[in-house]
Formats: sequence, C-alpha cells, structure tokens
Amino acid sequence: MQLDEVLLIIAVFSYAIAAIALILYFFTREEWLKHLGIPLTIAGCFAQFGQLVARYEITHIWPLLNLYGSLSLFAAMSVAIFVVFAFRYKIWFAGGFVVALAAIFLAYGVTWNEGTLPAVPSLQSYWAKIHVPLVVSSYGAFLVSFVLSCIYLVKYYGERSYQMRLAAAVAPAGAAVMPGAMKVSIGNDTPALDAAAASGDAVAAWYTSLPSLAQLDILVYRVVAIGLPLLTLGIITGAWWAKEAWGAYWQFDPKETAALFSWIVYAAYMHLHTRNQWRGMRTSWVSVIGFLSIIFCYLGVNIFIHGLHSYKV
Amino acid sequence: MEDRVSVRSLRDSFVRTFGSIPFGVSLLAVWAVLTLIGVIVDQGKESAAYFAMFPAPLARAILRLSFDNVYHSWWYVGAIALVLISMTTATFTRVIPRRLPPLRPVAIEAIPLNARIAVTMAPDAARTFVEQFFAKRGWKIRKRAFDGTEWTFADRFDWARAGVLVNHLAIVIIAAGTTLYWWKGFSGDAVVLTGGSTEIPQTHAILHLDDFRYKIAPIITKSGMVYQPIDYVSKLTVTGNDGVARAMTLRVNHPIDVDGTLYYQSSYGFGMRFDVLHNGKRVAGFLNQVLGEGDTLSIPNTNLSVRYERFVPTVDKASGQPAPDPRVNDPAVVLSAFNSGAPLGSVLVPLHTWIDLGGGWRVVPSRYVLFSGIQYRYDPGIPLVAAGAFTLLAGLVITFYFLPARLHVRVDPAGAGSTVGVAATTIKGYSIFETQFGELVAEFEKHVTRGG
Ligand code: HEM
Repeated sequence: MQLDEVLLIIAVFSYAIAAIALILYFFTREEWLKHLGIPLTIAGCFAQFGQLVARYEITHIWPLLNLYGSLSLFAAMSVAIFVVFAFRYKIWFAGGFVVALAAIFLAYGVTWNEGTLPAVPSLQSYWAKIHVPLVVSSYGAFLVSFVLSCIYLVKYYGERSYQMRLAAAVAPAGAAVMPGAMKVSIGNDTPALDAAAASGDAVAAWYTSLPSLAQLDILVYRVVAIGLPLLTLGIITGAWWAKEAWGAYWQFDPKETAALFSWIVYAAYMHLHTRNQWRGMRTSWVSVIGFLSIIFCYLGVNIFIHGLHSYKV
Repeated sequence: MEDRVSVRSLRDSFVRTFGSIPFGVSLLAVWAVLTLIGVIVDQGKESAAYFAMFPAPLARAILRLSFDNVYHSWWYVGAIALVLISMTTATFTRVIPRRLPPLRPVAIEAIPLNARIAVTMAPDAARTFVEQFFAKRGWKIRKRAFDGTEWTFADRFDWARAGVLVNHLAIVIIAAGTTLYWWKGFSGDAVVLTGGSTEIPQTHAILHLDDFRYKIAPIITKSGMVYQPIDYVSKLTVTGNDGVARAMTLRVNHPIDVDGTLYYQSSYGFGMRFDVLHNGKRVAGFLNQVLGEGDTLSIPNTNLSVRYERFVPTVDKASGQPAPDPRVNDPAVVLSAFNSGAPLGSVLVPLHTWIDLGGGWRVVPSRYVLFSGIQYRYDPGIPLVAAGAFTLLAGLVITFYFLPARLHVRVDPAGAGSTVGVAATTIKGYSIFETQFGELVAEFEKHVTRGG
C-alpha cells in the first residue's frame, strides 16, 4: 500500500471516530468525548494534507485538478478552518457535524479517484494552482458557517418551542402565553429557559449550554467573513485564468455563473446582517441557502452540467 | 409650487425605496435567481435542443422568455442596472452622510459591553494609565469633561468606516469596465487551415498558420483507457499594423498580443479535400477546396450533393466502426448523400476509398488538413475590471477585519484607589466585539495589577 493510501485511511478513520465522539459531545457535554474528538480531528486533518503532499510526491501531478483531489482539499480545509475557530472561540460542540460532513465529502471524493492523469492543456496553468485552493477553501469556510447556522436555527426554533411549552406548563389557564422573547442581545436572551435549567430541567440545560443566539450569529458572520473574501479572490483568479485560457475573463460558463449566484447570496447575507432586525434567524437561513448553492455550484455543475469547467474532456 | 412638491415627494419616495437595504437585498435576490436560471437552462442552443431537453410547454416558455440567452437579455442587464442604482442611492443617502457619533458621556452599565475594574491608583494616575494602555494598543485617545466629570474616549479603525464606500465604489468600477468592453471592445473566432491565412476583420491583422500540432496521451486508468489531450500548438506568422510579418507560437493558456488584441488557441479540427470522379475520371477543381465539418459539396450538373459530417481519426480494424482513439491512425469521414436535398443515407468512408452516388459519380475523401481555431478579443475594460476587483477585495477585507469601535472610559475615586468603568460600542453591534472586549479587559486587569 502506498503512503498516500495509508494516510487516506488514517484520515477517514480519524474523522469517523472524531465525528461520533464530537456529535455525542454535542448532546451530552461529556468532556472526555471532546478530549477524544479534538486530537482525532487534528490528526485526520494532518493526515489529509499529508496525503495530498504524498500524492504529489508520488505522481508529480498537481493533485487538486480533479474532483477527487479538490474534494479532499475541501474536506481538509473545512476541518482546518473549523479547528482554528474552535480553538479561538471554543466551539468544539459544533465539531462533530463539520467533521462528519468533511468525512462524507472525502469518502465521496474517493469514488471519483481515476488514478493519475496529467492535466488537460487548459488546466496546465499556475493559475490553476492558485485558483482551485482559494475557491475550495472558501467552500470549506462556508461548510463551517452552514453547520453553525444550522445549530443557530436548531437553538432558535428549539428554544422557542421549548420555552413556550414551559410557559404553558406554568401559566394559569386562560392566561396569554408569550412566546419566548428572542431579543438578540448579549447575555441572557431566554430567562425562562435559564430558570428551568437552574432548577434541573435537562433539556433547558442543554439549550443554555450552547452559546447565545447572538454569539452563534456572530460566529456565522465571522466564518462568512473568511469565506466571502476567499470566494471573491477565487472568482477573480478564476477570471484571470479564464482570460488566459479561453480568451475572456467572463463567459457566463455555468460554473462561473453558479459561483456568481453563491457570491450574490452571501453579499445579500452581508447586507441583511447590517440590520438588527434581520440579524440572526433570517441571516442564518440565508447562510444555509448559501451553502446549498455552493454545493450545487461545486458538485451539481461539475457532474450534471456541461460547460468549460467540466473537467472530463 | 405644487409641481415642485410632488417632484420632491416622488424623489423622496424613490430615495426611500431604492436606498433601503431590504429593497437592495430583494434586487440582489432577483439578480441571483436570474443568474441561476442561466445555470440550469443550457444557454445559446438551437430551439430544437430545448424541445429535446424539456417538455414542449416549458421549452416554448424558455424560448419566449429568452431564458436561452439570459445573460444578454435586456431584463438581466436591467436587473444589474437596478442593483447599481439602488446601491448608488444607498451610498449617497445612507453611507456617505453617516458621521462619527459625537463624544458624549454614556451610562456605562446600560451598554451591554461594560466592565468595572477596581484599581489601587488614584484617579489621575489611573486615567494616565488608561490612556497609555490603550494608546499603546493603537487606540486613538481623546479626553473630554462633561459637567466636571472627565471622560476618556478611545477609538479604533475609524478609517475603516469607509469600507462600505470602497466596496460600492469597486462595484461601480467593475461595471464601468464591462461597459467599456461593450462600447469599444470586440471579439470573434477565426479558423486558419494549415498553410492558409486569414484576415481579422476588425484589426486587419493577418494570421498565417505554418503548422498545427496537438499531443494526446493514452493513459490507463481504473476505469479503462483515457485519451488525455496534453498540448495544442499553432505556429503562426502574424502580420500586424506595422506590416511586419513575425513568427509566433500560440498554445493554450499562452495567448499572443498583436497590437493590443489578444489571440488564444481555442480549438482545432480537420478540414477535408475531396476528389470527385465521374466515370473514373477526375473532375477538375475539387482538390483545391477544403471543406469543414458540416460543409456540403455539390456535384456539378446533377441534383446530388454530399455533406462532410465529421472526421473520424481512427477506424477500428476489427469492427470497421469509429474507435475512441482521437489520434489520427486510420482516418475516415462520415458522409451523408442527398438527392435534391432528400437524404440518401450516411456512411463511414475511410480516406482514399469512395462513396458511390450512382450515375458514375464517386466522391473520394483524399486528404485531411488540420485547422486551428483561434479566438480573439480586444477588451479595453480589463484594467478597470481588474482594478475594481482588487478594490472590492480590499473593501471586503476592510469591512470584515477592521471593526471601528469606541471605548468610553470613566475613572471614579473609590476608597484609596479608583474604579475604571469601560463601555464599548461598535458600528456592528455588541456581540461582534464581545470576545475581544473580554480579552482587552482581562489584559487591562493583568497590567493594572502588575503596574499597581
Ligand atoms: C443592491 C444594491 C445595494 C445596496 C442598496 C447596498 C446598500 C448598502 C448599505 C446601505 C450599506 C451600509 C449598511 C450599514 O452599515 O448599515 C452597505 C454595506 C455594504 N455593502 Fe452594499 N449595497 C448594495 C450592493 C452591494 C454590492 C453588490 C456589494 C458587493 C460586495 C456591496 C458591498 C457592501 C459591503 C461589503 C458592505 C459592508 C457590510 C458590513 O458592514 O458588514 N454592496 N450596502
């Protein structure tokens, strides 16, 4: 077995166990699960980068120019970006989902492994070596923001309904039941839940163990703040390369336009986020749509729609 | 008078609508959806292709609504124009008039980001310490007294308030660059046969193709043999405006520049020379003609014609069918024959063999000629678009990574020492600064105890 295959197996297994451990940690908050998941996540990520380097060393072919290579980098960058955020902002609770998605994309990438092929002429450009990693890294960031947005939405809707249930349980018959006042501000945005958590309600305690909605929202924003400039730079380098390879920097090729679509969605996200009333639930939905559009742009267009970017010649 | 009032109210309601973020975001959504349509519906195909791809009513709707040519339709360009108008209106009415908030006292505890730190220093010493502490970390310090109470204000990244302006300006620059291309630029395709020349109509440059080469490598992969193109190269002699002929090499990813117009290697193909025989005798004139795929050759004084459908680089010896190998080994052509326009059938004809049309007529594909497909483009907008793109990038970095923030600090005497009250505000709310504020306060506490 070659070194790259060994590293791939290490990465997949590390991710699989890390994902299970961290997803369990998400629900139970057992610290030992986190301490199991963190090193495995990091080990898997290192193994992945090692695997890409090993493939290059063995074949002398830039490994990112087919779906297998780019999906590997996508998975690795998602995890790498997440790890940096997790250490900075203590968000390991979200790690299981990021790692699980990374593992799924990596495993899917392996099914596209066609062995070693030299690049077709239009991909034989140093721009390919700059453009692809940038775009794929932006996808990685958006994967992380997607997971955090989903957690935001789970907390938002879950807390609302749970708080409503709590309120109904204590409210005298006929009294108006106020839905959870979801004022997004720093600190305590769910007093009823906090009170229930303090008096031993396990579900309430679980909700309150997550960061506040305002904090989750800002986390999403921070990750989009990595993804959007990277996507912009990715589109710019892609356009530059297109100018050299196909004669025009923009030809409305399906891949370009799909990337433009995602870019507009995130630009809309950014604008909505400047408004207090729209920050939070609505922007989280936009972030979810943004990531779905990224996956469409990435896999849907590569696989189902033929254009200049479909790499199979 | 009334007219003026109604004009003003019209203008106000235009500005209110177009300058609002929800409206702008709705326009972005419209732009996004139109963009997506062009991704899903194949662009620029023949109408028949849409009927083959979609149910008839949908295909008709696609054609009627110009969804087959989304990006050049008036409504796509119109949507982008509306986005630009909305953005510009918002910039002038909301972004530019925005001023730095004045320095004024605040109720520290009422601001979500606040801290109160007890220090052993006397108030004056504490104030000096505060100033030095924040100044050293890049905060701009200003002091004011309000009703005898001294306040220290520390601002950071005030200049980054211009980030929005930079972003919006960048979009305008990009739009200007693309407009410049529509106005002054041009592009086109040229096909040059090996040994032949072509003149580019807009520039009058003459391209002579001395030679065209391509390299394709057969590679065994897990899913079988794959023929991977490795290189396409045109050896050209180019005569530009100065009338001097220069030898140039054109390959994929390496365009050549002739008098500011760029030429790119975009495709290649096989032209074909045919020999026409009547009762075994060669009919003069045909061997000088080179037909491209899709071209038709008419047989003189008859209703017969032959269309050169496509080139087949290699015929599989065993099956007599086209082989997947794109390299030329045993070439053939697919020819369709017609009588008075009615199809008589299509056949695979190896080179130097013939198709018999009856009446003593035979057509022989005799020699193939490689041609090079070259795209050219003159785009004076590129420098603007590039400048806009990098301005946009700079704007995004400013917006996301330089957060203008203000600290409001008030030092009050407390026993033998003082308390330092700090509250922070930013242009993007409080949560975004929560972590940094916590770190800043922790660092302050560490230094103040060490210093004290
Ligand atoms: C549809 C037309 C647009 C309108 C009406 C619009 C309006 C605005 C306004 C009013 C702001 C300031 C928000 C605030 O701080 O309260 C803003 C911010 C911004 N705009 Fe636009 N804009 C438009 C299009 C664009 C486009 C196409 C871009 C390109 C990326 C862009 C980039 C930005 C950026 C980066 C910010 C700063 C966002 C932040 O502070 O997080 N805008 N826009």
